[in-house]
Amino acid sequence: MPLSPSSPEPLVRLKDVHLSFGRNNVLKGVDLTVKRGEAVSIIGPSGSGKSTILRCINGLLAPDRGQILVGDTAVHALRSESARIALRKRIGFVFQQYNLFPHLSVLENIVIAPVRILGVDRATAEREAGELLARVRLADKAGAYPGELSGGQQQRVAIARALAMHPELVLFDEVTSALDPETVGEVLAVIRDLVHDGLTCILVTHEMRFAEEVSHEVVFTEGGEIVEHGAPAALFHAPRNARTHAFINAVSH
Amino acid sequence: MTDWLPSLVSGAKHLGLNYGFVLNPFERTAWLSGIGVTLELVALALAASLLAGVGMAVLLTSNRPWLQHPVRVLIELTRNTPVLVQLYCAFFVVNMLLNRVLDGAQHNPLTAFAWVIIVLSIHYGAFHAEALRAGIESVPAGMRESAASLGFSRRQLLWHVELPLAIRFALPSLINNLINLVKTTALGSAIAVGEVTYTSLMIWTQHDNVLELMLFIFLVYGLLTLLVARLGRRLEHRLRMPGYGH
Amino acid sequence: MAIEQTLAAKPQPETQAQPVAVAFAPNALLLAGLLLLWGLAGTCLGDTLSVLWQWTPLLAQGLKMNILISLLAIGGGTVLGVLIGALELSGSVWVAAPARAFVALFRNAPLLVLIFFTTYVFPFEIHIGSVYLPFPDWIKATVGLALPAAAQVAEIVRGAIGSIPSAQWEASASLAFSRAQTLRWIILPQCFRRVLPPWMNLYAMITMSTTLASLVGVTDLLESAKNASNTVNRTDFTILVYLAVLTLFFFYCYPIALLTRRLEHKFAIH
Repeated sequence: MPLSPSSPEPLVRLKDVHLSFGRNNVLKGVDLTVKRGEAVSIIGPSGSGKSTILRCINGLLAPDRGQILVGDTAVHALRSESARIALRKRIGFVFQQYNLFPHLSVLENIVIAPVRILGVDRATAEREAGELLARVRLADKAGAYPGELSGGQQQRVAIARALAMHPELVLFDEVTSALDPETVGEVLAVIRDLVHDGLTCILVTHEMRFAEEVSHEVVFTEGGEIVEHGAPAALFHAPRNARTHAFINAVSH
Repeated sequence: MTDWLPSLVSGAKHLGLNYGFVLNPFERTAWLSGIGVTLELVALALAASLLAGVGMAVLLTSNRPWLQHPVRVLIELTRNTPVLVQLYCAFFVVNMLLNRVLDGAQHNPLTAFAWVIIVLSIHYGAFHAEALRAGIESVPAGMRESAASLGFSRRQLLWHVELPLAIRFALPSLINNLINLVKTTALGSAIAVGEVTYTSLMIWTQHDNVLELMLFIFLVYGLLTLLVARLGRRLEHRLRMPGYGH
Repeated sequence: MAIEQTLAAKPQPETQAQPVAVAFAPNALLLAGLLLLWGLAGTCLGDTLSVLWQWTPLLAQGLKMNILISLLAIGGGTVLGVLIGALELSGSVWVAAPARAFVALFRNAPLLVLIFFTTYVFPFEIHIGSVYLPFPDWIKATVGLALPAAAQVAEIVRGAIGSIPSAQWEASASLAFSRAQTLRWIILPQCFRRVLPPWMNLYAMITMSTTLASLVGVTDLLESAKNASNTVNRTDFTILVYLAVLTLFFFYCYPIALLTRRLEHKFAIH
């Protein structure tokens, strides 16, 4: 993991990204910069395009207009499947609904992509998977099936599965929204560790306190636009924009 | 042959059942070879139908209209016409034309036995394909997104995620189709394939012991369908996804 | 926005147009196949068609036989099957067990073998007192199809009744309904829409199975076609007559399948 929290080099750059589904304009000119080794949280009301931004960054959705750069890769210009696959090998994605493969054991879920996609030999992949499971505090669950785990446990396996690809960047899409309140903490603890270790992360989240605590920068979106962004302390406690103010007031009560 | 067989046969005779053919080595061998042919038909058609089913399901979900549409037409045709008519069309029409193209039946490698397997494989393959297609379509969209995010290609997605899940979803239907396939192998007798129904027919035309042979035939098919159902249930158990669904 | 259509779960405009394409494509394929085979046979199509035209009355007779057998078999099978399905659900083991055995036997036996059974084992006439009722082969074949149909209907009925929440039985019992009254007035009316699609499916299956009667000497469409083919003894005619049989069955059964799918879809939504 690159350990350079104050590095000025940007890893992700979005410039004037537009996207609409039919007549529904989901993104209306989004600009966003994420520096290597930093964690950026995206907050905002439901339907403000937060998850769509993440899906544009790893090429699950293609923007109608605008530029998306991840490192030197122009994501908006990728046309072939192989180019998108090359991009996705570098970017981890953790979903709200975990999306583990239910027919594979926890261990298989973690090793399948390194073995099949990266061509890592099985023994190495399994050893690394063991280390990752220990890191997300699930070392004893390697043989279990996803359906046998709690939501929080499944989500930690999903994080381990993403990390097994050695991504430069991990995208977290409301990863605690589907969880029981008791298990939210264990997932956030894992993410906190990753941020401390210098992993570049973009988090879409409703956990305001967590966003404030771990992020280097917070972005507030509404109606497909970025309304305000800045250091967490400033954005949460002294928002410049009235809509940001209203949103933070509403969710903190 | 040991003496228990004649005593069983005479015991049956007291019940009014004529199993005399069992004591005639020639007829007994002929009848038993019928069971052998039925087993071969079942084993080959079962495997071939599953292969055909997976192949058709893959084409059916391929997103390419020029692959999808011919397969869809084939499936609708084979599902909505009688298997016996398909068998006749294959054997009396296609096979005859093949003989003509190949300059005589002696050059044609496809026997009646082979045609039964071909027709049954396509027919039940179509049913398998429909079940698998429904299974593939019920794979949650999030599963596709997560596989894509890990860098799976479309083909890897199909083989490592969609098909394994689809097979699990479709397994009850697939087993049901295979049980029907076992029963349909009896149609081989219509084009003189020497399977168990056909050899029984040969014997009861000689001895007028239809009921006796019927009991045997019911037993053979009953055991075979039971075997398929058992194996299916064992497979279902092995492929179960703990904690998923119920 | 068109790159990853496969991944984003969006309604595809294609799905609307598809049923139409599917409905017409088989005709095109049949026609193409026909013409291809024609090339192989190397004869004038018009001449062959005129021979087929001469045989049309006989073939139509045969088709009428298939339809007659299918209607009688589904009718008899439905009446018997509903009865057996109800018996299967009876509280008494002595009633339920024979019903289950019936279903197990007739669902697991090949249809062809059952038709052989009814044809060869049943007498050719029935004596009632001094009256001799003839028992022709086509009726025996009908019985051979009606028995497994009854077993299937029993399964369909049992499945549908089982899918009604048990709370409804309790609620009816608390209103002093008897078991039979609950079944008649509360459960069965709800079962109808669940039963209809698989029942129509069964009818299509039976219709296709009526061709098995040709193997015990019933002059149905397939048997007539075979006779015609043997009599005319011309390659081009053989091709045409068998394809005609295939096409006739397709146009009888495919609309039933489409309607069934439509009903399944409609009932699944409600």
